[in-house]
Amino acid sequence: MSEQDGLFLYGIVPSDVEPTPGTPGVGDPPGEVTVVRQGPVAALVSEVTPDAAVGRPADLTTYQMLLDGTAAVAPVLPVRFGTVVAGPGAVRELLDAQGDRFAAELDELEGRVQYVVHGRYDEPELIRRVLDDNPAAATLADQVRGQPEGVTREQRIRLGEYISRAVELRRDAESRELLDALAPLAVSGAHRPPSHELDAANVAFLVDADREDEFVDAVEEFAEQRRGLVRMRLLGPLAPYDFTSADRVAR
Amino acid sequence: MTVATTDGQAGSALERSGSSSSLADVVETVLDKGVVIDAQISVAVVGIQLLEINARVVVASVETYLRFAQAVDRLDITPRNQKGLPDLVEGASGAVGAGKAAAGLGKTVGAIGGAVRDAVGELGSDGDRDRARPRRRRRNEEYDDE
Repeated sequence: MSEQDGLFLYGIVPSDVEPTPGTPGVGDPPGEVTVVRQGPVAALVSEVTPDAAVGRPADLTTYQMLLDGTAAVAPVLPVRFGTVVAGPGAVRELLDAQGDRFAAELDELEGRVQYVVHGRYDEPELIRRVLDDNPAAATLADQVRGQPEGVTREQRIRLGEYISRAVELRRDAESRELLDALAPLAVSGAHRPPSHELDAANVAFLVDADREDEFVDAVEEFAEQRRGLVRMRLLGPLAPYDFTSADRVAR
Repeated sequence: MTVATTDGQAGSALERSGSSSSLADVVETVLDKGVVIDAQISVAVVGIQLLEINARVVVASVETYLRFAQAVDRLDITPRNQKGLPDLVEGASGAVGAGKAAAGLGKTVGAIGGAVRDAVGELGSDGDRDRARPRRRRRNEEYDDE
């Protein structure tokens, strides 16, 4: 690599992990994903040029697939997307300084993967239920239906506010129920912020590989109980994006 | 009341997707996550614009309220206490709802994709992501030694 080139950092792994030769990394043209080892830990990296526009959708996908693929066979600590370091020397320095902490976290993650359970309300069904539960909102709904927006703006805003608050309350309850229902089958759970105004729940779980089937069955059951009201999705298995201590900045 | 009638599906109520099911999922899953490395050894941290996208927060606004009110307009006006016919109607409206939900999601994906592309001034097609489907293996033979 030339002196200006940097190394894009994907994740930290135990030093016995090795990438499949020829795996392309981020950037265009992509560098090959390689590993830099130091003691018991290693970093998955690929070369990028300094002016590389890394951050295309394809780069994000490459990053995630590499980490998810790794998580399927070995513990991995994702490094925040977009981290580029000066070269192999800097990587070794980092691994040397943080090796114990990284190794301890990797031990914790051994045999575990992340799942994300994401639910989104079916809007017509949700609104129907809100109006059923809330006579004041139902009255407003009767007033605005079929009327021009200009004439009923005030009522519309109040009605929309009722619905919006109802969604927030239901979301809180739904998320708590989800966490309660699945916590016994998971190592830990973490709320994720809603990504849409109709989000019903968005929770990440760290799951032991030998309890995956049980966990998935429980999510299926949870989804079944909400069929028609909530579109439930299960993402994973994923690398443990929500279960690395990212708040502890590596120094 | 309308259990299992709204989407008309006999299959699982749960949608499964593995890695990278859509760009919106990828953005939401990976951005702003993971170990942060000290800036002292980083020569560059790219993708700042992307991190800002992830910081978008769902905030209720008058716009949201008016949109919900419009959704009420679109709702079938069925007497709330009648059974029988409403089931049929709800079945039909459920199908419409599903279509809308899908369209809405598509819009989100487009919006985020657009923002990402704008941020870096480049266009990546979704097909690109199949290019890299890395495999990992553990060198078990060395595992015991280390």
